[in-house]
Amino acid sequence: MAFPAKYPQLNETELTDEARSVLIRVIRVAFPHDNFPDGPYERTADTILKEAENSTWFRVALTQGLLTLSHLAGGDFRDLNEEDATKVLRRIESTEFFGFIRRTTVLNLYDNKDVWEVLGYEGPSFDKGGYINRGFDDLDWLPKARVELYDGPKKFVELAGNVPLAAHRGAETGAGTAVPAPAGQAERDTSNQPGKRAAEMAEVKK
Amino acid sequence: MTAIEHGEEAIVIIGSGAGGGTLAYELTAKGIPVVVLEAGPYLTNDDYVNDEWEAFNQMAWLDPRTTSGSWRVARDFPNLPCWIVKAVGGSTTHWSGATPRFKAHEFAARSTYGRIDGASLLDWPITLAELEPYYDKAEIAMGSTHVHGRKPLPANNNYIVMANGAERLGYSFYATGPYATNAEEYDGRPASIQDGFNFQGDKNRSKWSTLVREIPRAEATGLLDLRPESHAVQITHDSSGRADAVLYLDKDGNLQRQAAALVAVAANSIETPRLLLQSASPMFPDGLANSSGQVGRNYMRHTTGSVYARFPDKVNMFRGETMAGVVADESKHDPDRGFAGGYYLETISLGPAFLASFAEPGAWGREFTEILDAYANTAGLWIVGEDMPQESNRVTLNTSVSDKNGLPVPNVHFDDHPNDVAMRSHGYTQAELLYDAVGSTGSHRTPPYPSTHNLGTSRMSEKPQDGVVDRYGRTHDVPNLFISDGSQFTTGAAANPTLTIVALAIRQAEYIADQLKTGGI
Repeated sequence: MAFPAKYPQLNETELTDEARSVLIRVIRVAFPHDNFPDGPYERTADTILKEAENSTWFRVALTQGLLTLSHLAGGDFRDLNEEDATKVLRRIESTEFFGFIRRTTVLNLYDNKDVWEVLGYEGPSFDKGGYINRGFDDLDWLPKARVELYDGPKKFVELAGNVPLAAHRGAETGAGTAVPAPAGQAERDTSNQPGKRAAEMAEVKK
Repeated sequence: MTAIEHGEEAIVIIGSGAGGGTLAYELTAKGIPVVVLEAGPYLTNDDYVNDEWEAFNQMAWLDPRTTSGSWRVARDFPNLPCWIVKAVGGSTTHWSGATPRFKAHEFAARSTYGRIDGASLLDWPITLAELEPYYDKAEIAMGSTHVHGRKPLPANNNYIVMANGAERLGYSFYATGPYATNAEEYDGRPASIQDGFNFQGDKNRSKWSTLVREIPRAEATGLLDLRPESHAVQITHDSSGRADAVLYLDKDGNLQRQAAALVAVAANSIETPRLLLQSASPMFPDGLANSSGQVGRNYMRHTTGSVYARFPDKVNMFRGETMAGVVADESKHDPDRGFAGGYYLETISLGPAFLASFAEPGAWGREFTEILDAYANTAGLWIVGEDMPQESNRVTLNTSVSDKNGLPVPNVHFDDHPNDVAMRSHGYTQAELLYDAVGSTGSHRTPPYPSTHNLGTSRMSEKPQDGVVDRYGRTHDVPNLFISDGSQFTTGAAANPTLTIVALAIRQAEYIADQLKTGGI
């Protein structure tokens, strides 16, 4: 939901073409994929700009962040090489500005066919009959693997031999009754009871 | 569909997932009419989509919740403590399908593991032997592979990597199941076409869910009144302390009242205690059926984690069933490993969209993008093991945050127990060794996802002061109120919980039918 500012002119952010191009560079430095073309980064930048329209907080954080990135960069952020640009982003990674870009990028950059193809993900398959005839078991650099349950000489040991109380319950599979308390321990240890009104409310994040 | 009058004192089941859907079918099959209140919409397999985020937004329970505690989910996904479904069929539409049984000693965790600092371990009041016949029934109903004559699923690429690694590491007890997904036509449903969208509902209907089996069969009896988009708000009681009605919001937000002779709550382990706490009254000031103070406590989520490993060659883990492989060698209890309880390793696959969101939340830069760049050459597995119940791990009502209906949202507080941390660390190491054994060139330890296994918040106990329900899931305090989901788990065991929830629900249905006949309720 958009919260209109009292002064209408503030609803128009200063997100110029230059700001957009800085944003694209920020995304590429933060999420560097050498095989990705520009398209997915531009698409993601446009999604971020659109989302920012819906929140005053993000809009002002994004605008201010993009305008002032050059202060940290000591010039135009876009002129820095990847290593230096990454250092700048490390310095601001806990800011709302960067957090907003990071979260929105993670949610959107990878949720599109344009990057799936590059990464080798073939995506939706039901309409093509699934993968059953399209390579679901075509891995050929390892031997075929057994699919049935193990049927060899080894016995699966559910309880290691050194567990003192194993005899009481672990080996038991036949008796259909409640288990008697272990010998010498007439009253089984139970949990501590909380006070009746001990409903402490832990810190709540909103 | 049969309509049951709102004023008629009905058997009312809240939730239509593994517990509620099974109970509804089993009761209607015995000729007992039921009302099922389901908070979510009636989606069908045709509605599902082969797209991770679109399906998530279609199926997931997205009503606001809050979190607290030191678990990482509270930082990364503060309003998404768990990843469960709000729709007819509940989380059985999203589940992976793995159906291991509990082991005998896992019903006696306190006796077997001994006293563990900070853990509120307790023995179940039932044994494996008592549940075995119901495990059989549940496996046959669900079509579990590898048992009762059901064929194993074929090996997909992700499994070939895991199984070879397991073998080379010296493990033996691995297979492509048991999974409740058809390897061949069974029970009127087709074999898997390996479409890879199991978590997204499974359009092909090869995976068991109450949506494809129990709900339609209950409808066919003519005794089911299924009400989707009906969100339970409160269970009311009469002057004798018996439940007498359920108040719920219909799809238009109008408050409705369904009179009840018996109420069974199966709303998953966050909403079940929330509903009991919202049902507090002068007679039950701490919440309905909460004289023990245990409602909402001992919240368990299984000790989990994933390892995604990279290889020089292609894996294409996304092709085929999302989960179709189990390694059971570490599911034993062997304290020499440095922790109590055991865990399984199970194949898992995520698409790039979900992998980006969940592989390492908050990360960026080359160490993050190399995970995605290696996507086609990546194999993945999930660690799932027993976590320690702790009284402070707890669902409470957050009265300072309300949902769209003005109801207090549940807050989920969770801290890992040191035993959980030790088990997870062991699991990560074993998984890496497993993948190293087949030539991995790198791997990533992914932290637990928002919880899919939510357990323990209305636990079963022999004594009323130790828990909320008895050996049949009947609350100690209110004779005609039952809990029918994973909330009743006394401890979590290593196994994926759905099979046990279904087995308990089948058993509970027999008990309820018998009690109704003999006037015991």
